[in-house]
Amino acid sequence: MAVCVAVIAKENYPLFIKTIPTDNELKFYYTVHTSLDVVEEKISSVGKNTNELRELYLGLLYPTEDYKVYGYVTNTKVKFVIVVESINSSLRDNEIRSMFRKLHNAYVDMVCNPFYTPGENITSQKFENVVMSMMHD
Amino acid sequence: MSRQGTRGVDLRKVNGELFSLTYGALVAQLLKDYEDDEEVNKQLEKMGYNIGVRLIEDFLARSNVGRCNDFRETADVISKLAFKMYLGIQPVVSNWSAAGDEFSLLIENNPLTDFVELPPGHSQLNFSNILCGVLKAALEMVQMEVDVRFVQDTLKGDNITEIRLKFVKRLEDAVPVGED
Amino acid sequence: MADEVILEYLHMEIISQFYRSCEKSDQDQCIAKLESLGFRIGQSLVERFTKESPRFKDELDTMKFICKDFWNYVYKKQIDNLRTNHQGVYVLQDNKFRFLTQMSNGKQFMEAAPKFLALPCGMIRGALSNLGVNCVVTAEVSAMPACKFQIQIQRA
Repeated sequence: MAVCVAVIAKENYPLFIKTIPTDNELKFYYTVHTSLDVVEEKISSVGKNTNELRELYLGLLYPTEDYKVYGYVTNTKVKFVIVVESINSSLRDNEIRSMFRKLHNAYVDMVCNPFYTPGENITSQKFENVVMSMMHD
Repeated sequence: MSRQGTRGVDLRKVNGELFSLTYGALVAQLLKDYEDDEEVNKQLEKMGYNIGVRLIEDFLARSNVGRCNDFRETADVISKLAFKMYLGIQPVVSNWSAAGDEFSLLIENNPLTDFVELPPGHSQLNFSNILCGVLKAALEMVQMEVDVRFVQDTLKGDNITEIRLKFVKRLEDAVPVGED
Repeated sequence: MADEVILEYLHMEIISQFYRSCEKSDQDQCIAKLESLGFRIGQSLVERFTKESPRFKDELDTMKFICKDFWNYVYKKQIDNLRTNHQGVYVLQDNKFRFLTQMSNGKQFMEAAPKFLALPCGMIRGALSNLGVNCVVTAEVSAMPACKFQIQIQRA
């Protein structure tokens, strides 16, 4: 399903990034990095239109030739980015949404671990397992 | 029907979560302060003891239970009433010793460890050790000296969390046990 | 509710534990430790509470969330009064603050109030900080069990 999953801190540094096994990890890092500008743009455009639904799910950030990049932002300003292959066109919007929901729940539980310090790299095995399940389904 | 908050938060769950988060933050802080698993275990037990001394009063007032006839009855009250009332769980009472003076509480979903993942290098830490102190003190207040300790913990990879209670002796009535 | 009893007992015992383990001269350090404990709890709580919320519009929107939803989840009531000078100071008044309802109105209780309010103050600061609002939170008791929390926004 997903080929890359990333969690980005409020201050825009990566807390967690996982890709499928590949020779070209850097390409994904770059894709995620580029997507952050689009995320910022989407977040800051909100509020001008008061009737707009301020959803956490930001939808498709941008498509590249091979990939589609989706974004999500929590109320605590943490960003999630999920990259899927464009060929995987069978993936519907609500499936992407449910992936983000799963990721968000796992993130919240991870933050609640008293031994985790918010803002630190995510090393939780439970969290990683959830991400892995999203990449293998 | 569950009471739902305006934004989809279950109010009944929040109390439990607040308790787990508060307890977790405490243990993490104690580890920072004492930097030693055994010492943290000791502090947690002591804190539990102080809580147990008060909690037994609340428990007796709420539950209306009378004096237990034997240790088996005590075990039942602990599991079916006390744990149920305060933590919303009902540990299984098992592994009785032949003499009937020792048993285990088997806990499947320990609410204290809801979100906890132990960092590496803390194999000696009994994260929920406060429970031992609470049980010890509460039983002492009803004239039973009982040895309480953790023998297994799912946090450390065991299949189940197990607290062992061993009856030591009956205490004289009306002798208040010194604190600390 | 029985589960509220254990939370209250735990809170009291945490306060005693911190005061037992620190020097008499170092009361400030105990307050700071209680506050930082609250801060960490607030960070986690707000992460859970806002999971389903639409994104907040602005600072006032965030503050209203603290007064209504956050307060309701944690204290089973809403803040009774919210005031702001529109320059980064908010005053939240709770006429019947849960952690003070057990205490009488005597002078010695008034003096003890800061240690009971340190953790709740930290919780507010942790919640707001995680929502992107950096602030200093102080509490003031004029008559038990009413309590005023003052939130001073720190602009970068």
